[in-house]
Amino acid sequence: MASGSTVLPGQSLGLLANNNGGPGTHIHGDRVFASVAGIVTSTPSTSKSSKTPTLSITRPSGALLPEVGTTILGKITRTNPRQANISILAIYINGEPLCSEPFPALIRQQDVRATEIDKVKIAESFRVGDVVRAVVISLGDERSYYLSTAKNELGVVMAVSEAGNQMYPVSWKEFQDPDSGLKEARKVAKPL
Amino acid sequence: MQADRRRLNAPAGGTTPPTFAASPNQTPPRPTRSRKPDEHRKIFLRSGIVPSASGSAYYEIPPQSPKQQDSLLIPQSSSLKITCTVHGPRPLPRNAAFSPNLLLSTHVKFAPFATRTRRGYVRDAAERDLGVHLETALRGVVIGERWPKSGCEVVITVLEGEEDGWWGDARSGQGGGKAGGWGLMGVLAGCVTVASAALVDAGIDCVDLVTGGVAAVVQDGDGPSNDGIVVVDPTPSQHSEIRAACVVGYLQSRDEVTEMWMKGDAGLHAESLVDSAVKAASLARIVLAEVVKEAVEAKMSIGLGTSNTNGSVREAEGKQKDVVMTG
Repeated sequence: MASGSTVLPGQSLGLLANNNGGPGTHIHGDRVFASVAGIVTSTPSTSKSSKTPTLSITRPSGALLPEVGTTILGKITRTNPRQANISILAIYINGEPLCSEPFPALIRQQDVRATEIDKVKIAESFRVGDVVRAVVISLGDERSYYLSTAKNELGVVMAVSEAGNQMYPVSWKEFQDPDSGLKEARKVAKPL
Repeated sequence: MQADRRRLNAPAGGTTPPTFAASPNQTPPRPTRSRKPDEHRKIFLRSGIVPSASGSAYYEIPPQSPKQQDSLLIPQSSSLKITCTVHGPRPLPRNAAFSPNLLLSTHVKFAPFATRTRRGYVRDAAERDLGVHLETALRGVVIGERWPKSGCEVVITVLEGEEDGWWGDARSGQGGGKAGGWGLMGVLAGCVTVASAALVDAGIDCVDLVTGGVAAVVQDGDGPSNDGIVVVDPTPSQHSEIRAACVVGYLQSRDEVTEMWMKGDAGLHAESLVDSAVKAASLARIVLAEVVKEAVEAKMSIGLGTSNTNGSVREAEGKQKDVVMTG
């Protein structure tokens, strides 16, 4: 199957002996078949054990669901002493990042940062309305995905002060309101 | 059917405008089938018509021969117009239990103006039954375990449905066949094909393209009753008696049938009836494959920004080529 050609669901892409099945494909018998309609791409293998290239199909519409390990952007909807509820609005995979439907998720107290996790106070890390960059760590329970901000690049990206002004980050734990000069505590994401 | 008490309903009756009654001597001739027994009517199929839904498609079998329309204002035989939207995968509601697979829900509704006698706004038993058959056909094709904790809703609206028999028969008092409901089988075949196009448009993982095909055992001509012949894609108004009919949902690359619904007494023709329905599904798949390919190429060219303005790209999409359905 030539890389770059359009394939339909059910179309055979090659033998399982010569190819691995990547996203957008499924395996039936001894062959790899397409599961979605799109353009097929073949990436050479990066693992030491299998030398065969991986066939994957890019969906024209982009990611549909958050998967474990993907970075997402969301907005805090609710806070508790133990967790912060967040609504996932965008997923960073190839294609259109915006979700058609917001997904409910939460960040637990122990997943906010990597050090001193038992001393974390949610009120000093997140407030309702903050835009947060986080990574999905688990599918969670029936209501929410579980997210983590325990890295330097993860955390609050945009925040509004209590006076209503857009704030700028000044350190890993503080935002500052430019008009009043007051600082507020958040778990701040390192600017890229 | 339960009375719909929440709305002020229109008077029950026909959907065609009232005309002068024709005299009983002047019954117009029954339309006859001019196609070969293994020839399908032309299908129009287009996907991506509803921008706000995850996936959508429109399926139409246009009226075939206009020359039988000379004497009457009432159309001699109905055509088929179905639209489908797919919403999903989207998160399940708050009180739903955790589900490791995709929860597929189908919803089929006839518009009130879809058939010669007006239908209600509330779903009746026949529409719920069609929804169950459609879910059976789609469940065998969707790879559910890739979408945990999500639901997908397939909503089908039939804008014009096939009728069960010729309207002239009802006027003169003869039935259209031993069992009724032949039009619903043609509608189900169209629903399976259009739902498949919409699911692929939404990007949901499918094992193959499933298509619906319908075939029937009809009386051969107006002579004395004999064994009957098997025809593909029957128009119920063109046959004086339909003995049996069968709808299948068929996967061509695996040669598997996901859904089968047979009605009536097929007698000796039972196996060839199923084979003909499978053949009808294969003919419809040719059209579906072409439509899906064109849609992917159109989306890719929009994504790469090779169009100057949005208007010119949409114009190019409108010029679809005719695909010849060969067996």
